[in-house]
Amino acid sequence: MWTYDKKLQYPVKIKNPNANYAKIIISQLGGPDGELAASMRYLHQRYSMPHDKVRGILTDVGTEELAHLEMIGAILYQLTKDLSPEEIKKAGMDIYFVDHTAGLYPVSAAGVPFDMKYVGVKGDMIADLNEDLAAEQKARVTYDNILRMVDDPDVRDPIKYLRQRELVHYQRFGDALRIAQDNLDEKNFYAFNPSYDK
Amino acid sequence: MTKDRSTLLHRIQAEDFVLYEVALYLDGHPTCKKALRYYHEHKKIAAMLKAEFEEKFGPLSIYHNHSEQNWDWACGPWPWEKEAN
Repeated sequence: MWTYDKKLQYPVKIKNPNANYAKIIISQLGGPDGELAASMRYLHQRYSMPHDKVRGILTDVGTEELAHLEMIGAILYQLTKDLSPEEIKKAGMDIYFVDHTAGLYPVSAAGVPFDMKYVGVKGDMIADLNEDLAAEQKARVTYDNILRMVDDPDVRDPIKYLRQRELVHYQRFGDALRIAQDNLDEKNFYAFNPSYDK
Repeated sequence: MTKDRSTLLHRIQAEDFVLYEVALYLDGHPTCKKALRYYHEHKKIAAMLKAEFEEKFGPLSIYHNHSEQNWDWACGPWPWEKEAN
């Protein structure tokens, strides 16, 4: 089961609301490489993982992604708080506002609702862990792109923290892939192993 | 001794970060004695800080509503609010 820790993993304290920033950062809530996709990917892949260590990594990274989903939620909430209809219209956020007001609905920056099609669960440890390594890099690039477009240090600070976590998770999935490969047939060690899927 | 809510919370966030970071490492390297020692050092500090915080500012966990008179768990500020950070 899960229980809630009543605190963010890292502080979010944004002085100036900004609908333009919210419009792009929302992709990390419900976009293809966002935190919701990340958590769903790892938390569902873990059931078919054969090794304890890898199950641990998927459970704990997947759980941390839920904390990141909450940080993105906090950033979006604070960026859109107390905006006037004029400010929302000026930022072009009216097309979101008409359906969701200031509620947080997981969509990509282009307005596509969250979809499990972003997530791969192949039930094969080599395939799934390679997906996870790629996913962490894709999320890192999205944060890099956000940092290219956002100037406010109050927003950049938690975004930089989240970007850094993608790098650490990539390292941990590197550990996981090594563990998976170490447990393949030693005579035929590397990434492809015909003896694995028997 | 820390008195201010956000200062104390930031220290807890830092200690919990250390714990989570080393836990992810330990998942893949469970026999690393150095990491396990590090985990236990910071586990004590985090527990101490959380006990102090919950005493002063209310529960961080649904299992730690210490008051028998009030349901403090569902009182704000909530983590996503500026004032909580």
